[in-house]
Amino acid sequence: MSITLGRRELVGALGAAMAAAGGGPVFAQPRGEQLLVVMWGAQWIEVCRPIGEEWMRRTGDRIQWELHAGGAMAVVGRLRPIWPRIQQNLIAAWDPVFDAMMEAGWMEPVDEDEMPALKEIPDIFFKKDAQGRKMTVPLSTAGAFWGYRTDLVDRPVESVEQLLEPRFRGKLCVPVPVNLSGLLLVSLAMQRGGNERNIEPGWQLLTELARRGNIGRVVANNSEMISAMSAGDLSVAFWNTGGWQAVRDRFPSRLLTRLTDNKGFLFNEGFAVMKGENRARIAAAKRFANHFATAEINTRYNMPLGSGPTNRSATASPAIADIFYRPDELDRFAYIPDYAYMATQVDGWTRRWEQEITPLIRRA
Amino acid sequence: MRRIPVALWLAAPGLLLLLALMGGPVVLLVLESLKPFVPGSIRPGEGVTLGNYTELLAPAYLFYFQETFRFGIIVAGLSVLFGAPLAFAAVRSRSALLRKLLLALLVGLLVMSLIARLYAIEMAWGSLGPLAPLGALTGIAPRSPRYAEVQVAIGLLHFTMPVVALMLVGTFRALPPRLEEAAASLGARRSDVVVSVVLPLAAPGLVSAFLVALAMCISNFVVPLILGRGIVTLATSLMYTRFADIGNYPSGAAIGVVMLVLAFAVVYGLSALARRVLPGARL
Amino acid sequence: MIGAALDLAGRVAARVAVLAAVAFLLVPLLVACLMSFDDRSFLGPFPPRDFSLRWYRAFLDNPAYTDGLFVSLQLGVIAAAIATAVGLAAALALADPRLPGREAMEAAFLSPKFIPTVVIGFSLLVFTARLGIYEPMTRLILGHVVITLPFTLRAVAASLIGVKRSQVEAAMSLGASEFRALWDVAVPAARSGIVAGAAMAFVLSFDEVAVSLFLSDAFTQTLPIALVAEMRANLNLTIAAVSTVFLAATVVLLVLLDRTIGIERLAGDVGARG
Repeated sequence: MSITLGRRELVGALGAAMAAAGGGPVFAQPRGEQLLVVMWGAQWIEVCRPIGEEWMRRTGDRIQWELHAGGAMAVVGRLRPIWPRIQQNLIAAWDPVFDAMMEAGWMEPVDEDEMPALKEIPDIFFKKDAQGRKMTVPLSTAGAFWGYRTDLVDRPVESVEQLLEPRFRGKLCVPVPVNLSGLLLVSLAMQRGGNERNIEPGWQLLTELARRGNIGRVVANNSEMISAMSAGDLSVAFWNTGGWQAVRDRFPSRLLTRLTDNKGFLFNEGFAVMKGENRARIAAAKRFANHFATAEINTRYNMPLGSGPTNRSATASPAIADIFYRPDELDRFAYIPDYAYMATQVDGWTRRWEQEITPLIRRA
Repeated sequence: MRRIPVALWLAAPGLLLLLALMGGPVVLLVLESLKPFVPGSIRPGEGVTLGNYTELLAPAYLFYFQETFRFGIIVAGLSVLFGAPLAFAAVRSRSALLRKLLLALLVGLLVMSLIARLYAIEMAWGSLGPLAPLGALTGIAPRSPRYAEVQVAIGLLHFTMPVVALMLVGTFRALPPRLEEAAASLGARRSDVVVSVVLPLAAPGLVSAFLVALAMCISNFVVPLILGRGIVTLATSLMYTRFADIGNYPSGAAIGVVMLVLAFAVVYGLSALARRVLPGARL
Repeated sequence: MIGAALDLAGRVAARVAVLAAVAFLLVPLLVACLMSFDDRSFLGPFPPRDFSLRWYRAFLDNPAYTDGLFVSLQLGVIAAAIATAVGLAAALALADPRLPGREAMEAAFLSPKFIPTVVIGFSLLVFTARLGIYEPMTRLILGHVVITLPFTLRAVAASLIGVKRSQVEAAMSLGASEFRALWDVAVPAARSGIVAGAAMAFVLSFDEVAVSLFLSDAFTQTLPIALVAEMRANLNLTIAAVSTVFLAATVVLLVLLDRTIGIERLAGDVGARG
C-alpha cells in the first residue's frame, strides 16, 4: 500500500503539526478553499466526516458536507433551476446520475496529472466523454441485491418467486422507483424473462406482489432502509450493499448474490467534480477527490460500506467476500444493465408506480 | 385631481408585495405547467401542452386527491371534537392552575418543532412504540403496511389540534359568561347550558376552526413524508416527488395549480356555505 | 332523574375528552424524551434497556443544528418585523370603510394561507432565479413574509375592531393629518394585536418547512431544514435528543412568557388570529 504525499499536503501537515504543538490559534493556518461536497447519509457520511476533518487540519481547506435527501438523482432536479450558479464542488453519485450530469455538461474532466491516484484505478471504472476524457472519480464497486434477515425467515429463500408466498405478507421492503434508478423493476423483469428494455414482465410481478399485500414498506434512502430492516416488521429487502452492510452488522442476514434464476446488479459509485467559475476551488475539489482515490483512504472508505475499493492497491473487507464474484462467476450471477437508458425511464416508471402500485399496496 | 385616499397608500405595500411574490410566481407556475417534459434530460422541452393536466384525470390521481380530502376532513373533524372540550376547559375550568397549564400546553406545542413532534409520534405510535396497541384499536395492525394511514392521521391531528384549540379559546372567551350564568341561575344544568347556550353561540368559531384545520391538512406535506412509510401519498407528496426526486417540474407545477384551485374552491366554497347557514362564520 | 344522569354522563365525557386530548398531545413527547437516552445504535423497541448520552453528544457535535438555529432566529425576526409592518398598514387600510374594493382586497391578503406552501416554495424558487436573486437569506425572507402576512394582518385587524372610525375622524378634526390620526389613535389601540401578530409570525417562520426547503441552500439552512435533511439522510435517535432539548427550551420560554406577558393573555391574542 503506497501513500503519496504531495508537497502541498506536506506543508499543510507540517503547519497543522506546528499549530498543534504550539497550541497556535486556528487563524494561523493558511486560509484554504471552502468546498461543498454532497454525500449520502448513514455510514457514508459517518466514514467521510473524520476523513474530511483530517483533510481540513492538513490542508486548511474547509469541507462542508451536504446530504442527499433521497437517491442521488434528486440533486440533479434540485440544481437544474439554479444552474450554473451552484455551490456544490463534488457530488457523490453513481452510474445513472453520472450519465445524467454528463448529458447536461455539468462535470469537469479529471486527469492523472492533477490527480495522481487515478493512475491506480483500472481504466474500465471511468466514465468518459465523447473526446475520451475521464469524467468521474470512481471510488467503489457496489451492488444491489435481494436479501433477508435469517432470524426472521423460517425457511431459506432461493428464488424471488418465493416472495409471492403468503408468509411474506407485509414483509417486503422495496425502494421507490426513483431510488436505485428502478433496479427493483429490472430485477423483477429479469425474474420473468425481461430486462431493463423489456420491463413489462417486471410490472406484472410487482403488481402481483403488491396485490397480495406482500410489500410492507417503500423506502426512499439508505437511512430509511436501515431503520425499516432493523425494526423487525420486515424481513426481506432489495437494496444496495451499503444499506445491507449496516443491517448485517446488527442482525444475521443473507444476501442472495448467487440466484440461479435471477442476477445481482453491479455499479460504480464515486465523485463527480462539478464545473464552476473558481479555478482554485475546482483544483481544491480535485485534490480532495484524489485523496479519496488513494489506496489508504479508498480502503477505509469502502470498509463500512461493504463495497469493493477501486484502487488496485486498496484492500477489500473480508466480510464482503460473499457478495463479490470471481471472474468466472460474473457472467452467471451478475448483470450490468444500461444505466443511461434507465435514467431516461425513471420519470415514467415513477408515474406508473403512483398510478398502479401505490393504490394496490394501500388496498391490499 | 382627486387625492388618493390614505387607506390606499396603506394597502399599497402589502398589495405590491403579494402581486410580486405571489402573483408573479403563480403565473410562472402556470406557464411551467404547460411545458412538455423530456425524460432523462435536464433541459425543458419546447412548445405548449395540456398533457400534464390530462394525465391527472387518471383514476389513481383522482384517488390521491380524494384521499387528501378524506384525511383532511376526518382529521379536522377529530381536531374540533377534541379541541373544543380542551379549549372550553382552558377558558372555563374552575381551577386557575388547570387553565394556565392547558393554555401553556397549547402555546408550547405551537412553539415546538413540528419535525421533532412527528418523529416523537413515530417513536410512540410506530410498530415498536408503547402506544401501538392503542393504534391497533383502529382495526389496523401496527405491523401492517396500512398502519401508515393511522400514523399520518395521528401526525396531522397533532399538528392541527393545538391550533384549533387556541382558536376556540378565542371563541369561548368572546362569549359573554353572563349568558351562561343567567341560564344557570334559571336552574339549567351545566351540560344543558353548554348544549343550548354555548354551542350555538360558538358555532361560527367551530366552523372556522374546522376550515383552518382542513386547509392545514390539505397543504401539509411533512407529515406524509415522515410518517407515510412511502405508502400514504397525498397530493402534496406527489408534487414534492416531482420537484425534488424526478425533476419533472412541468408535471409538479400542474399538480400545484390543481391543488391551488381545489384548495380555494373548497375553503371558500365551504366558508360561503357556512356563512349562509351560520351568519358570522368567517375564516 | 334521567336529566341528571345525562348531565353526569355529559360531564364525564367532557372530562375524558380533555384528558384524552392532553395525553394525546403530551405522551409522544415524553416517549421521545425517554428514547433520547437509549444506548442502542438504532430505533429499537420501547423502552430502552441501556442508557447513555450519546445522542446528546451527536446533537452537540453537529454544527448543522446550531448554524440552523442561528439562521432560523435571524430569519424569524426579520420576516416577522416586515410582515408585521406591512400587515399593520394593510389592516389599517382595510378598517377604513371608504376603501374601494375592500372585500376583494381582504380576500387577496388572506389568500396565501390557503396556497399549499410547497407551491409557494417551488414557484418562488423559480421566480427568484428568473430575477437573479440567489442570495438564500433574501429568498427565505421573501418567502416567509408572504406566508406570515395573512396572520399578522388578521391579528392586527382583530384588535382594531374596537377602534371607531369616528375617533380617528375626531383627531383629524382637531387638525391632525389622517396618517397622524391613525398613528395616534388606531395604532396604540392595536398594540396587543401587533404583538400577537409578530409573535405568531415568528413562530410560524421558525417552524416552517416547505417554503424553506426550496429556498435554503447548503450554507444557509434553517433549523427545521437541517433537522429534515439530517434525519432523512441519517435517521437516528439524535432527533429524540433534539425533541427533548426543544421540550426543555419550550418550558423555559413558557415560564418566561408567563412572568412577563402572562400565558392567559398571550393565548388569547394568539387564539384570536384565526
